[in-house]
Amino acid sequence: MPQMGVSVAEGTIVAWHVEPGDRIDADATICEISTDKIDTEVPAPVTGVVAEIVVPVGDTVEVGTVLARIATGDGAAAQAAPAEPQRARANGNGHAAVPEAGPAAVERPTRHRRYSPVVQRIAAEHDVNLDEVPGTGREGRVRKPDVLAYIEAHAAQAPLHIESPYRPDPDPVPAPAPRAAPPEGEGLSRMRRQIGQHMKRSLDTAATCTTWIEVDMGRVEAARAALRVTALPFVARATIAALREFPALNATLQDERYTRHDDVNLGIAVSLGDDGLIVPVIHNAHELSEEGLAARIKDLARRARARELTPDEVNGGTFTITNPGQYGSIMATPIINLPQVGILDLEAVVKRPVVLTDSDGNDSIAIRPMTILGLSWDHRALDGALSAQFLAAIKRHLEGGLP
Amino acid sequence: MATDMADPSSADVAGTEHLTLEDRVELLRAMLLMRSIEQRAMNLYRQGKVPGSFYDGFGQEAVSAGAAFAMAAEDRLCILHRDLAAHLVRGVAPARILSQYLGRAAGITRGRDGNVHFGARELGCVGMVSMLPDMMLVAAGMAMAFKLRGEARCALTWFGDGSTSRGDFHEALNWAGVQRLPVVFVLENNQYAYSTPLDKQFAVNPVERAAVYGGVGVKTDGNDCEAMFEAVREARERAVSGGGFTLIEAVTMRMHGHAAHDDMKYVPKAQVEEWRAKDPIDRQEARLTELGVDVAALHAAVNAEVDAATEEALAGPMPDPADVLDGVFCAGPAEPLGDGRAPWSGWAG
Amino acid sequence: MATMTYLQAITSALRDELRADERVLIMGEDIGVFGGAFKVTDGFVDEFGTDRVMDTPLAESAIIGTAIGAAVVGMRPVCEMQFSDFISCGFDQLVNVAGKMYYRQGLAVPITVRLPSGGGFSGGPYHSQNPEAWFMHAPGIKVVAPSTAQDAKGLLHAAIHDPNPVCFMEHKHLYRRIRGEVPDGVWETPMTARIAQPGSDLVVIAYGAMVHVALEAVADGLDGASVEVLDLRSLVPLDEEAILDSVARCSKVVIVDEANATCAAGAQVAAVIAEKGFEDLDGPVVRVATPDVPIPFSPPLEQAVLPGVDRVREACRELLAY
Repeated sequence: MPQMGVSVAEGTIVAWHVEPGDRIDADATICEISTDKIDTEVPAPVTGVVAEIVVPVGDTVEVGTVLARIATGDGAAAQAAPAEPQRARANGNGHAAVPEAGPAAVERPTRHRRYSPVVQRIAAEHDVNLDEVPGTGREGRVRKPDVLAYIEAHAAQAPLHIESPYRPDPDPVPAPAPRAAPPEGEGLSRMRRQIGQHMKRSLDTAATCTTWIEVDMGRVEAARAALRVTALPFVARATIAALREFPALNATLQDERYTRHDDVNLGIAVSLGDDGLIVPVIHNAHELSEEGLAARIKDLARRARARELTPDEVNGGTFTITNPGQYGSIMATPIINLPQVGILDLEAVVKRPVVLTDSDGNDSIAIRPMTILGLSWDHRALDGALSAQFLAAIKRHLEGGLP
Repeated sequence: MATDMADPSSADVAGTEHLTLEDRVELLRAMLLMRSIEQRAMNLYRQGKVPGSFYDGFGQEAVSAGAAFAMAAEDRLCILHRDLAAHLVRGVAPARILSQYLGRAAGITRGRDGNVHFGARELGCVGMVSMLPDMMLVAAGMAMAFKLRGEARCALTWFGDGSTSRGDFHEALNWAGVQRLPVVFVLENNQYAYSTPLDKQFAVNPVERAAVYGGVGVKTDGNDCEAMFEAVREARERAVSGGGFTLIEAVTMRMHGHAAHDDMKYVPKAQVEEWRAKDPIDRQEARLTELGVDVAALHAAVNAEVDAATEEALAGPMPDPADVLDGVFCAGPAEPLGDGRAPWSGWAG
Repeated sequence: MATMTYLQAITSALRDELRADERVLIMGEDIGVFGGAFKVTDGFVDEFGTDRVMDTPLAESAIIGTAIGAAVVGMRPVCEMQFSDFISCGFDQLVNVAGKMYYRQGLAVPITVRLPSGGGFSGGPYHSQNPEAWFMHAPGIKVVAPSTAQDAKGLLHAAIHDPNPVCFMEHKHLYRRIRGEVPDGVWETPMTARIAQPGSDLVVIAYGAMVHVALEAVADGLDGASVEVLDLRSLVPLDEEAILDSVARCSKVVIVDEANATCAAGAQVAAVIAEKGFEDLDGPVVRVATPDVPIPFSPPLEQAVLPGVDRVREACRELLAY
């Protein structure tokens, strides 16, 4: 199961395009998968004959799980497709298998576990992580006796001082959960959980700091009206230019490895309505004009909402712009999309009275379309002065025209 | 055994030897009340105050008034939808009947059932169901119990010409014949079962079937309340003296449609006009007028009573939906039917 | 206390009622001098006479209809359908007259309709049916279905004493095959379920003859599993509390009906569990019932459709392994 973006942990097989015995060329579509973020086709990694389909349609498996094996060469070897080779294991039907990486791979269930209502209820009542409960039912299904046995085996005896004759009274038996009580709210969707985990990890990991700058959008407003697009591609273009000047922000920080990138792969956060959001990436964005950026943003947004993005289109970002400004909010503190080190927030453009100073130093008050750009940046990678300079560069590009 | 039909054109003032003048006035009063209530209810229906549909017995008042008048208090009746006068004779208050039509809490079925589907349990009456001859078997069953217990009581039910085609009609006549039951079956032949005329309903007049099932068949003028009374009085006497069942064919005419929605275009106008001349209320009024009864005063009294009843019914509350699930099952002891009102002077002695 | 068959228990209940209550009368085809098609009322006319043990015309609608009439004037009629299949001819009286009478006009209809039901002996399509669900669907009618001799007597007393119409489903297959200790006299079995065999890993819910099929199916212990058998005894009212209690303890449920599967009593039980016991389930609710075919005559065909011990056992095994 390929990784379909940083936050994606699992995927579901939607359809297989091949059967065992079929010949398949590298890069031809072998199957379709669905993940929290995108639905996509998976191309075969090698040319060969399909030896085995490991994960059936409908099953949800973790990223890295072997989906199928393709025999290459003279048919003597089976290659796991398209996962990392160390996850492959002997398939037992005569094909030589890639060596095992360790016992964990052998025991890893390939089928997403589903739990019956009573098992889920008991687990919730006793705060049991069902992933840890061995199942004795069909195909390893966790049955009610399994979870009860687990609870009994793990019932922690509170340690007592060895000399004390005192023993606490047993805890009162908790009242059983009322039957058919209305549920208190709904469980989060998988996508929401993933977004939440990703955002929380960012806040827990990065030293997030937010800096704002006010920008006169008069020039952009006129230009965007002429091109009949939003302000976003102009802000994107100005940001790209600023990133080229300050590559410290066009960077990723992963496990204390800080990497500056030459190419700007610009992520644009796209709302999927109630479902959540996704960040498609415009690769080599520095090569595109405002018009080109506008076209790419529009296309990516449409395909994101139609769940048509390819894995590559959500991976590899070096900087992200988020743009919830269309609803009139004026400031935010965006959360950094790890492992990137900066994220720019574009909010509403609002007409305000501002003081203008002409070349002669005369002040006047004018009505100008203004916006506040917010930059969250990772203090582990850079410092405030650099962020302010970066924002100032964006402002300059937007107000004064691009170089 | 069948009696000849009275000449409907003659204003026969002789009546029967079993009726006092007060009885004859009471018969007229019951018919007037029935007509007045039904006319009022039809108006309320047209005003949208009576839900569902509405069925009446316009022109057939004599059948139920005369038959019910001959029944004793301890007798039991299964009353059909064109027999409102039977309820009135047994003592049901007009306001309860109007409340029933209006779907009010004070209706006899407390809004559980509509229009003419009711029977006042405490007055010895069982409400009809829509599967029309079903009540013939219920009446036969009541009669069976009377006979088993050796009681001098009688059960009576009404049904229409259409009912004679269904199996329960035949099962009931057969059962009553086999067990020689004290039951009176009143076949209300009003010429049409909804739109179906008699010649499409049967090849042999059903009253003739009585004999082959072991009972007595009697044809009588259903538009003469006194003739009806007399036929049923005789049938009841036969029943309680061990003579078995009587099937009385009350020949009459349904002067309105099957229900409020039916304009009965399928009935020839001439037929309606012919029967209009035999109106049972007109006939009884003619008799009593000749005998010096102030019929106009009776009219006024009845109308005033129905006015008050209508007012009372309209003022009553609708049933409470919170109780709608109550009473599907009987939780307490079964309360049997009670005795009804029996106004005939013959019961006084 | 005496040991008697299921059929003798029914006879005992009827005899004790006739002796104890002069309002009780028994009506049916061939029940008097002949003693009934299954000899339930054998010898009754000698003790109670032909009025109270009444041979009726061959007319089921009339049997129910006249019983209703007798009931509303104070009698306690017990009607015998010669075979439960024939109740279709009395359906209208039972459903439209008896079932709705009390709700409409407060007039109680205390009648009992005995319905010899069930197949297993080449009775064919018209002498093998289990029509109880027809009446579960009709408001105002109670439906009971005893599986033991003791309950046959106790539930019949309860039915006769009940102020409502009661369908008493007596399974023909049990008549002479089931026997047990039965207390003497007039007493009642409550219209509630009973645990025929306690257990904790899986519950088989059944009624009537299927209780015995279930008990036999799980008799060998099913590889050490602890299997409960819940005997519903009453279908209307349905003992939801007992059902949900068993489901809460066992979490796995097999429901057995001898009736045709669609909308059968077991379908209602499954619906109750789905609605009110969902959080106690550890597997799908499994039903074993007769497929939706008329009951065929020839033995291999009939045995192929009626739920048998093997099918119930297999269903339990499958569900236990789930």
